[in-house]
Amino acid sequence: MERTILHVDMDAFFTSVEQRDRPELRGQPVVVGAPADQRGVVAAASYEARQFGIHSAMPSREAYQRCPQAVFLPPDGKRYMAASRQIRAIFDRFTPHVEPLSIDEAFLDVSGVEHLFGRGEAIARQIKDTIRSETELTASAGVAPNKFLAKLASDMEKPDGLTVVPRSPEAIAAFLAPLSISRIWGVGKVTRRPLEAAGIHTIGQLQACNEVRLASILTPRSARHLLRLAWGEDDREVETEHEEKSISHEHTFTHDCSDYDEIRAVLADLADNVGRRLRASSKQAGLARLKLRWEGFKTITRQRPLMPAVCDNFSLRAAADQLLENEPLIKPVRLVGFGVSTLTSGPPDQLSLFEDDRTLLDRNERLSHVIDAIQRDFGRAGIHRGSSRQNMAPPEQEHLRRPAQ
Amino acid sequence: MKIEIPKSALLEALQAVQNVVSIRTTLPILSNVLIQAEKGRICLTTTDLDVSIQCRVDAKVLKGGATTLPARRLSSIVRELPSADIEIEVDDKDTAQVHCGSSFYKIMGLSEEEFPPISKAEGKFCYTLDQGAFREMLRKTAYAASTDETRFVLNGVFLSFKDNKLVMVATDGRRLALVEHEVEFPAEAEVDLILPSKVAAELVHTLGDNGELRIFTKDNRVMFEFGEVVISSKLIEGTYPNYRQVIPAQCEERVAVERETLLSALKRVSLVTTEKATAAHLTFGKNQLVVSMTAPDVGEARETIPIKYTGKELHVAFNPEYMIDPLKNLNNDEIYVELTDDLSPGVIKCDIPFLYVLMPMRVS
Repeated sequence: MERTILHVDMDAFFTSVEQRDRPELRGQPVVVGAPADQRGVVAAASYEARQFGIHSAMPSREAYQRCPQAVFLPPDGKRYMAASRQIRAIFDRFTPHVEPLSIDEAFLDVSGVEHLFGRGEAIARQIKDTIRSETELTASAGVAPNKFLAKLASDMEKPDGLTVVPRSPEAIAAFLAPLSISRIWGVGKVTRRPLEAAGIHTIGQLQACNEVRLASILTPRSARHLLRLAWGEDDREVETEHEEKSISHEHTFTHDCSDYDEIRAVLADLADNVGRRLRASSKQAGLARLKLRWEGFKTITRQRPLMPAVCDNFSLRAAADQLLENEPLIKPVRLVGFGVSTLTSGPPDQLSLFEDDRTLLDRNERLSHVIDAIQRDFGRAGIHRGSSRQNMAPPEQEHLRRPAQ
Repeated sequence: MKIEIPKSALLEALQAVQNVVSIRTTLPILSNVLIQAEKGRICLTTTDLDVSIQCRVDAKVLKGGATTLPARRLSSIVRELPSADIEIEVDDKDTAQVHCGSSFYKIMGLSEEEFPPISKAEGKFCYTLDQGAFREMLRKTAYAASTDETRFVLNGVFLSFKDNKLVMVATDGRRLALVEHEVEFPAEAEVDLILPSKVAAELVHTLGDNGELRIFTKDNRVMFEFGEVVISSKLIEGTYPNYRQVIPAQCEERVAVERETLLSALKRVSLVTTEKATAAHLTFGKNQLVVSMTAPDVGEARETIPIKYTGKELHVAFNPEYMIDPLKNLNNDEIYVELTDDLSPGVIKCDIPFLYVLMPMRVS
């Protein structure tokens, strides 16, 4: 069956929400992210700010140098989340096959709903109009026979764009040919460099390349993958049920940190945060991962299996601690991160010989759940470890509300 | 120091001691082997501060003394040298000149004074066993030890000298292996110790088929003396869990199975293992055992083994690795599998003082 996939991407989402809610910011360069005088990066830049060359992931200090008159705002996750939910609800009116990619973009499989809402282009237009009238925000959409092309298309006429990719293979090839290879999903610096060295800059040049030659430049596997994309072939499904595959948290130090105890304390907080999310999604983790970024950006990761799979803070902290302990701190640390993967649901399959092991794990798991419940009702300040760094920050007022009766 | 020694003798001694040398170490001296020349023999020593190995070998000592040389490099050089006598002369700056046939090397060493002190093989009591017997005991248990560093007391093999017996146990909390061997020692010499897995592996590698092994223990260290070799190690401190409580007193069913047949069946079905599907299903029916495995994304595998069995039909799932480990380390033709139900521990026995307990996997 012929598929029709939409990719809908909100335009400068965070800053658009800010400009919508604060009319005085409209028409002004707005940056959401870390403050201009501190370490950290830009999360989003308004189109006015982008004219100064500011883009997301750029250090805020650099953004400030490029445009000192820009308004720097801290991210307000709650309002963005609310807008995101509103938009998601609009998608759901058109099709149940929605795959959210992030807070501000999603794939929609509208194959088969054409008889209700019209062709792909008409559906995209209705979605865009509905978003504008109900949220006062603009979105760009791509309409195509598959996910790869739809995502590429939504980015072509931003902001407030609508691009329809033709259906015939010849027209698709012609549509892709003039584009840079960096537009292909998964082609980053590492893949691009050898390709460009071989004189391949556009997707058209890639199409002209035979698989054997490409395999000698890259690997046989990525050659095949890349060629298929170059011809606009992609049969991935729109995955409605997005199962979480990993959970991680990171912390960037305001100043590079050489204090082992402080790194350890921050890591413990990160492990607690990971544990909370793990339990919220009723999962157990089978693998723990530590990430350290040294001063000067070199990053290492170290991992170890968790046997049996766990979800309590105590086991996660012990794993994090052990990974850190095994890693000599050769340089000041810029960033520390902790994550888990190999997530499974339900109790572990492998039974334990020693009754005590299971009892201890059960007890730690129950205790972690109780901590979650207290923090849910009374905020993070409601209960925390004495060694927690979160302890150092003044408690936020809104966290001190009483539980709903 | 100046010595002369046949290549083969030096190589053998270096190979006996070099495993403990750390490749990545912050202390350069730990990459070196200590060479001490005494009357008519040399003594080679390596250490990683936890474990040390010493090996003595006959040599012509032209001038006594001691030095330390990079162990792995020296070993690779000696391996490539022609089969002839090697002459090593060390000056007072610890630079060694190595002559062998037409080959010549000059190797920078470090002073023996930098080498950490090695504790002597001594202790109040001595436990004497046959080298081969002790090695077999380790081989039948050590694989079951835990590698999870958060459970450090399980990162080794438990040795209990009691009632004129040595009981050796290893467990990772999911399966447990136990062997026993008769040893004579005075009642006041009864002792429990936890031997790090690293040393167990080193002993399996170095112990001979026969000959006497003498074990000493003192101040939380243990020393193994056999032939010309002495291995000394720190012990793991802590209380070993009460392993007796997890050994089922009695199981409901007992089945004799050919070891090799079951081993190869398990190896074959486990070829369809995936990250999500790790359980091998064992179904004991009338005179046959079916070993099977199903992985949703891969497919399935099934093996049927004839057995003598007329008991109730039993279905149980195990991690196949946990069954393969003991089976491949035993030599018996026939083993006994004892089971009660799908959630109770299973037991593997054979006609030697060996016992293996493993917990099943819960499958829906």
